[in-house]
Amino acid sequence: MSVKTTTLPKKYHEAVLRWKDVFLPDYDFLIENWDKHFPNDQTFQLCAYREMGMCAEVECGDMKGKPKAKKASELPEESAHHLFGAIRAQASTEFGSIQQHRLTLARAQEEEEQFWILRMMAEELRHGYQMLHLLAEDDWSSVSKDSTSDVIDDILSMNTGSHVLGAFNIDFDSFVDNVVFCALIDRVGKYQLQMQKISAYQPMAESMPQMLREEAFHLAAGVVPMRRFATAAAKGETFVTMEVLQKTINKWLPRGLEMFGDERGGGTNVRLGLKPMKNAEAQRQYYREVEKLVRDLNLRYLRARLENLTHGESEAVLDRILAGETVEGVRREDLLHMPHADFFRRRGMPAFKMTGSQGETFTSAHDYLQHLVRVLPESYRASRDYKDYADALLAVEAGTMTLEQASSRMPALRRVAGACPCSKSVRWVQDEPAAVTASEATAQPVA
Amino acid sequence: MTETTPGVRIRPLDELDISDIVAIDEKISGRYRPEVWERQIGYYLRRDPESSVVAEIDGKVAGFMLGEVRSGEFGLEEPTGWIEVLGVDPAYRGKAIGRHLAEAILEHFRQRGAHSVRTLVDEEKQGDIRSFFTALGFEPSTMRPFVKTL
Repeated sequence: MSVKTTTLPKKYHEAVLRWKDVFLPDYDFLIENWDKHFPNDQTFQLCAYREMGMCAEVECGDMKGKPKAKKASELPEESAHHLFGAIRAQASTEFGSIQQHRLTLARAQEEEEQFWILRMMAEELRHGYQMLHLLAEDDWSSVSKDSTSDVIDDILSMNTGSHVLGAFNIDFDSFVDNVVFCALIDRVGKYQLQMQKISAYQPMAESMPQMLREEAFHLAAGVVPMRRFATAAAKGETFVTMEVLQKTINKWLPRGLEMFGDERGGGTNVRLGLKPMKNAEAQRQYYREVEKLVRDLNLRYLRARLENLTHGESEAVLDRILAGETVEGVRREDLLHMPHADFFRRRGMPAFKMTGSQGETFTSAHDYLQHLVRVLPESYRASRDYKDYADALLAVEAGTMTLEQASSRMPALRRVAGACPCSKSVRWVQDEPAAVTASEATAQPVA
Repeated sequence: MTETTPGVRIRPLDELDISDIVAIDEKISGRYRPEVWERQIGYYLRRDPESSVVAEIDGKVAGFMLGEVRSGEFGLEEPTGWIEVLGVDPAYRGKAIGRHLAEAILEHFRQRGAHSVRTLVDEEKQGDIRSFFTALGFEPSTMRPFVKTL
């Protein structure tokens, strides 16, 4: 196994450094304190890594067994088109998550966890850099009329509200968001990276292994603090309660599920050899993983609350409590519960179906919004993202908006002039729904 | 990931294995130490997640082996694989899980450029582990651990 290290051409490299200065101002602080928090770990490098010696033949789809494309021009036009959208969307998510994490990074109560997130942000910057490298080193003119400079400018100009995927357009309200986002949304990222590891486009496949190695820690940077929160809650500490954890899971899981794309889609990517799984299959596997996480958190909570239990006993007691029994004062409502897969969805098959967090069905938007008051974080409900959802839901119920229009509707920050990431050149723009549908359908990486 | 003995699946460690590893450790040591394993597993995932592996039987973690490739320590300049922690659920012993874990981790060490692999065993307390490593072809090293009580 050997890894090749490369950098972007100077002008793009410097553009990323300027972006970093604006959106990741703690970067230098991280590097200065690297050895304190990550002793003996290789120091962070802003570069692109390519793993050599990977499978050289297409691994699934119509072209299975044929040589993988080393250049975009060797791909069928349909593949190049899909791939270009996927790379652009992936880059957008990497930079987007940093913009979200920075909002609440300083609110961490534990320095260790804060540095985990800070390291994760630096690695997300590198992942974005890796995607820009794929765009910059190849010729995509057959599928994009924009120049490489314009495409990179566009990505670096995106801000929370204008990113390609919904999860990256939602503001963080507390450090709990940082942590739960890592555990749930980075987990979707892991799936995407794993699937893209077999890409028929060799540079994409070669980019994935190092990103996956880094992503493994990002998930731990979410899961370990969540386990600690659950333990502290069981012991009566009042900083992060199980209710707060539950509401934050409710906030992010629906967006994570939607990142896989419409449940009916994904076949094209499989046929083109770009990914090995359709959307619904990957989404199902993801949902099962999060179910395991939620059960683990409940076990951690239970063992901290009822310290005399052994592991085997705690499994049995957990099942009894989940079935409705109260055991030694621990009630079903004290524990975390997996949100229903159709809950609070605005894209895909369950979009605007008004399914409650535990699968309840609602027939009026008013009642559903009252349900959301009870199960979503208060600070999130005061956000623009949530208001847009509520407005769309009411419009669908009133018949003034179709489901398709509602699904594609979101307030977007758009670059209206200039490209400098530190300029004030982005503004809120509310598109006509149909206009958004077309552009997003093209950019959707998981369709 | 690799399928070895029918029903035994070896795959890289991940963060959702913490609970299962805590449970295996508790069965072996009699101590419940989640904080220790949360930190420990976080460390190995941060360093190189593919250098640590777990064995699954019917979707349940039956054993684990944690390690990594390092160089520059103890005068060892060349990349060297280190096996640092291992555990097999007592309920699954006798299924060659340890051997499957070791084969997977050694293969990864080779891919990472290591030409040798090392571990430390307490000969007085861990006779069974010594036998395990000997059966895998490990030999006593001239490098000796030294210890001083403080």
